[in-house]
Amino acid sequence: MTPPRRILLNAVFLALIVGSAYDIVRDQEHWPLSQYPMFSVAWHSSTFAWLRLFGVTADGREFPLASNRYIAPFDQSRLPKALRRIMDGPDGPAKTREAVAECLARYTTLGEERLHNGPPLVAMRLYELEWTIDPDAANVDRPDSRRLITEVRR
Amino acid sequence: MMKLAREWNRFWFEPGPASNLGLCRLLFFGMLCVWMFPHDFSAWGSYSRVFWMPVSLFRVAHIGPLPVDALFIVQAVWKASLAFAAIGLFARPAMIVAALLGFYLMGLPHNFGQTQHFDTLVVLSMGALALSRAGDAYSADAWLGRNGRRTSECDAEYTWPIRFVWVAMSLIFFAAGISKLRHSGLDWIFSDSFSLFLLRQQYHISDGDPLTTWGIVVAHHPWLSHAMAASAVTVETLFPIVLFSRRARLVLVPAGLLFLVGIRLLMGPTFEQFMMCYVFWVPWDRVAVIVRGYAHTDSGRVSAVPRRDGVFAATRTDSGREPTRYRHLPRAAHRRRWNDHGREAREHDGEPRLR
Repeated sequence: MTPPRRILLNAVFLALIVGSAYDIVRDQEHWPLSQYPMFSVAWHSSTFAWLRLFGVTADGREFPLASNRYIAPFDQSRLPKALRRIMDGPDGPAKTREAVAECLARYTTLGEERLHNGPPLVAMRLYELEWTIDPDAANVDRPDSRRLITEVRR
Repeated sequence: MMKLAREWNRFWFEPGPASNLGLCRLLFFGMLCVWMFPHDFSAWGSYSRVFWMPVSLFRVAHIGPLPVDALFIVQAVWKASLAFAAIGLFARPAMIVAALLGFYLMGLPHNFGQTQHFDTLVVLSMGALALSRAGDAYSADAWLGRNGRRTSECDAEYTWPIRFVWVAMSLIFFAAGISKLRHSGLDWIFSDSFSLFLLRQQYHISDGDPLTTWGIVVAHHPWLSHAMAASAVTVETLFPIVLFSRRARLVLVPAGLLFLVGIRLLMGPTFEQFMMCYVFWVPWDRVAVIVRGYAHTDSGRVSAVPRRDGVFAATRTDSGREPTRYRHLPRAAHRRRWNDHGREAREHDGEPRLR
């Protein structure tokens, strides 16, 4: 191993260690380095709220898009958090409608590509659902309340 | 200071066999290729800027999402590079392409509203392998004689990439443990928080649903929930000890894997890619020796099998059929013998011989 290569490698090692230490100490995230904060804040509430998209079929029936295959490449963690950030950002309501419209278009595309077997939709709705955590998680499909955020029609 | 520098150099650049790193490369890229084959990154190009919330690196470097067609081509090239890197054909360029395109493709989703953490170790590992000579063994290049090195050769080049993954994984676990202690303290262990996490994860709110409903069972037993929370924080926070202690490695490395499996089973987050990096913890040369029970070598030559604290020094008869016997030497003897081997190897034909 040549001395310049050894110096280069040592620089890489130090970058990994110092960069990670910086994020840990400062409680910050600089992907691909991170302080890895997942589940770090203790949860004490017996209720929680979550954003969820619902599809509306031509006969007016409504069903939750609770599976990743309806919203791919998003997933049930990333999409609600993205929508929350859009809602809370500047020009939130208009941008949220735009985002839901894109999700509706994506649902249609995925259906045409036979990547899900969901029914055709005429509209998509974004709700904020609230649950009381059940000891057996028996109310997964029955939230205590839901608040309509926006609706987008084709 | 000198001692610290010596230990630093020993940790990263202790000579190791090419076969270990080669097998790690084969398994890591092979599993990643199979795992990623059905994944489609091109759809990220179909979203407008309304969803674009770049992480710092993408923002500073002005890296944006490519159109769908371009992403489709990029991911095709990336998946091909993963396959080439796995089989070790044009291994060096394949690993470089895999790291560069993988950095972009695996980083891309994190710019759409949430940074997830299951693939950071994969990105870092690919980066290390791109700088390494991991294609010197167990590769098509070696089989075709394209790499100009003998796979029996021991070199510092075959150690540092493995240690890099060790350090990266240790930092990740440590950071996660410190985050919990910082934000919640011992409340994270002794309150009902962990039970509530386990129950909340059943409501389709994760990137992947839990593979079982065992989380509900655990949540029903506070003592079990507290024990699991305590073991999670303990394993995470103490994990860096594995870098210095072989005994700790025997306990904490499997515990860390069990912890990740537990997360997937009970809580949902998809850490499969992270788990692939566990191939770097396996001393494949020793596994091979154990599996075979004895080793056959050619013409009385041996490939010394290094250990963290010594070496399996091989002795054998000239018949070529009798099993090799191994004896364990202490670290100091290992160093002397190793250096002797190194000198002797250069004097002869590049392959260590037994005195």
